[in-house]
Order: sequence, then structure tokens, then C-alpha cells
Amino acid sequence: MSYKIPMGPYHPALEEPYKLDLICEGETVRDARLHIGFNFRGIEHLAETRNYIQVIALMERVCGICSNIHTLTLCQAMEKLTGHVPPPRAQYIRVVVAELERLHSHVLWAGIAAKLMGFKTMFMTCFELREKVMDVLQAISGNRVNYSMNRIGGVNRDIDDPLAVLAMVEAIEREMVRTVIPIFTTSSTAQSRCAGIGVLTHEKAISCGVVGPTARASGLPQDLRRDAPYAAYAEMEFDVPVEPAGDVRARLLVRALEIMESCRILRQALTKMPPGEINTGDAKIVFSTGTATSRVEAPRGEVLYSVSWKQDARNPTRVHVRTPTYVNMPAVRWMVRGSRLADTPLIQASIDPCYSCTDR
Amino acid sequence: MIALESLQEKLGLATPLEQRSETCWLDPGTKSVRELAAAMNALGARFITITAYQLPKDGGLRLEYHWDLQGQLLGASFALAGNAVESIYDICEAADWIEREVHEEFAIEFTGREYEPLLLRLGDTPGVNLREEVR
Repeated sequence: MSYKIPMGPYHPALEEPYKLDLICEGETVRDARLHIGFNFRGIEHLAETRNYIQVIALMERVCGICSNIHTLTLCQAMEKLTGHVPPPRAQYIRVVVAELERLHSHVLWAGIAAKLMGFKTMFMTCFELREKVMDVLQAISGNRVNYSMNRIGGVNRDIDDPLAVLAMVEAIEREMVRTVIPIFTTSSTAQSRCAGIGVLTHEKAISCGVVGPTARASGLPQDLRRDAPYAAYAEMEFDVPVEPAGDVRARLLVRALEIMESCRILRQALTKMPPGEINTGDAKIVFSTGTATSRVEAPRGEVLYSVSWKQDARNPTRVHVRTPTYVNMPAVRWMVRGSRLADTPLIQASIDPCYSCTDR
Repeated sequence: MIALESLQEKLGLATPLEQRSETCWLDPGTKSVRELAAAMNALGARFITITAYQLPKDGGLRLEYHWDLQGQLLGASFALAGNAVESIYDICEAADWIEREVHEEFAIEFTGREYEPLLLRLGDTPGVNLREEVR
């Protein structure tokens, strides 16, 4: 006999509202239905009531973790409508901040995953690492969450001493190689909690259109930084980690390897950063009529913005945001099928969901 | 990167594709959105999203569909006759949530599918509406 277990909207693993109705037989999950929208904020509508300065501040608040990515994508779209091309140094700074954001997002996720596995010590190690990244972000931008770095035509703040950031990058790399990666890949607890759990098959990953590490952990080699480079990514050398297994362990491994690749990108961007201006100055911003679309590889996967503007209008006529969790979350239904009930919190967390982004 | 000329042939389009900014726009011509979605599936393109626009001065509604093909962003625009369009959910699973969201925000009917309980969870009818006349 099957029965339904409602999980959420106050979630056992993640302090954000969404609900999963699990249809179980005994301890085995047979099916699941997902419900979102508990905290829908209508940001796309609000954006239509904001000017080009205000809308950047608004969209930065779509997400509390990848806030920079949202302003970057929005500014890239608005730059297409205004003809403002950011100078090379600004493009490098955009790469640095985007990769620092990816680092802190991935390390945060690794900590939460460790906690869900019962690895409290690893949770503390990961959060200590994340703190180092947050300190650097604070030193660069003055902020720990909403960095306010992006503007039309470049960035608001320079990185005065790029080489000073390298020490943090090396510390993160060292700790990842020495502690985090070996524990996640060799410990029997991590193996038993992650290997073969919550599998999203390659075929289902294609069908669901999943993005980011969730896709790469199911064998899909997609990454916009390489496939459709933006900012200064075309000048960076890096690999795109792909794992074929599709289980929680693969998603964990992909993120761990991406931390190493982020460090590699950061080292290049910091050492090769060209001198010069960081934005196009105070020239008047004039929008041409039309719609522009921009995409960026956020820590959780592809973010897409479509921005529509009319010439001489104060506000955009439309801003549409497609966040990565919005396409990754429906795949959880297929991941939890056949799994043990006790594994479902970890499986849900393994896509690194952001409900704030989803309920934008 | 995919060659645009071969793409026109593979998708069976009468009009050449047009690269504007980073998006490659295709004119679906007489193709329905379902026919285009099926052709995109056959090509191995990844569905990204649907963006709805209300056109000014009673110009009706327009939907923009986006796909990704090997890093190339593909876009197709469909002007709606009335407030309805065929759903592609049954041939493109990834379109489920965005069809539901557009339905709720713009009261656009995606025919041939059933809607689950509201995604945006406000009221019991399409409610969080971005259309001018119902704001």
C-alpha cells in the first residue's frame, strides 16, 4: 500500500520554502510531486517599474548567493541595447568576481552536503574555507552578499592589487587537495551516502534540460564559459569536469573539481589582468528599442535574461529571468524515484537548489 | 559552432536564419511551435525557456522560445492568435514549468495539456498576472 509523505514547505535540509509530496511504499519512494511558489516575489513585474540604475540593484536581490551573476547577466543584456562595451580590465574583474562567487557557492554547498551526510567536521572545514572567499569578496566590493560590482559598460570598483588575492586562491586549493576532495572521494561514509543514490540518467538529464553541475554530473559536457564565452573567459584555459554516473557522488565530484578549475581561472585572471579603465565612464546611457538576451554560467548552471526596452523609455518593458534551479528542480522527481526515504533530503540538496532564484 | 546554413536546411525553414547580437533568430514561417520543437529535438537542441511579451496598443501577445545548440542560442518568435498556443510539454518535458508560469502570469492557454495546481500559488485562478488589462 502506498502513502504520501509531505516534505516541506519548511524543509529539513534547506531553510527555504518548497514542498515535495513523496509517494512511498514502505521506505521506498515511488514518485514525487514538487510544489514551489511559496515565496514568489514578482520581481519581473517590479523590474518594469525601475530605471536602468534601480533595476540592477533589484535584480541583484533575485539570489542571495549568486547575486553578482544576476547583475552580470542583466548588464550584459543592457549593454547590447546601449552599445556600451566594457573595457578589457572590467571584463577580467567580472571573471574574478564571478569565479569567487562560484567558489563560495560550491564550498557552501559542499559544507551543507557534508552536514547532511553526518560529517559535521567537514561542514566546519568547508565553512572556514568559504569565509576566506567571503573576506576577499568583501575586500574587493565592500560587501559580503550584494557586491554591486556590475554596471552598464563595466564594473563599479577596481581590484587594486590583484596579486594579493592569489594567497587566498592557493589556500583554498591546498585545503581542497589535502582535505575536502580525499574525504569526499574515499571515506566510506561519503561513499555509502552518495554512490548510486539519486541517479539522474543521461537520457533523463537531456529530456529535463538540466544545466550546470547537475547536467555535467549526468555526462552532459555543457558549460557556457567554454561553449559561448562572455566577459574574458575566451582568454582563460580551463577544463569542464564531467562525470557520467548521474548520482549524488558525481554531482559532488563535479563541484569539487570545479572548485579547482575556478582556482585555475582565478590565477590566470589575476596575473594577466590588463591595466586600464574599469568602465565606459559617465557617458549618457541611451537605449535603442529592442530585446536583448544574455546568458551566463552561474554556479548552479545557465542563467538567461531577456530584456526589452523602448527608446527614451525610463524603465524596461520586460525583464525575463530563467534561473538554473528552475530547470534543475523538476528533475528531482526522477532522482528520488526508487530511493530510500531517508536519502531524499540529500538528493534534493544535491542539485544545490536555490528557491530564492526559483521564486523570483 | 554550428553552421547557420545547414541549420536552415535541417530545420526545414524557408527563410535564412539571422544572427542578431548573440542570438540566432529563425523565422518559423508556417511551422507551428510543435513542429519547430520536434525539429529542435531531432537536432539535439536543449530547450531553455519561453518569454511572453504583451505588445503595445492591443498588439496582442508574443512568445519567444529559446533553445541552445552546442552553445549557440537559437530564438523563435510566435505571435499569438487570441490567447492560445499549442503546448510542447508532451514532446519537450523541460517546458512544463515555464508553460505553467506563462499561463499564470499572462493568462495564455497552452492547449493540449493539463495544468497542475498553480505554480505561483496565489489565488485559485491565473493570478500573478503581468498583463496590463488585469493588473
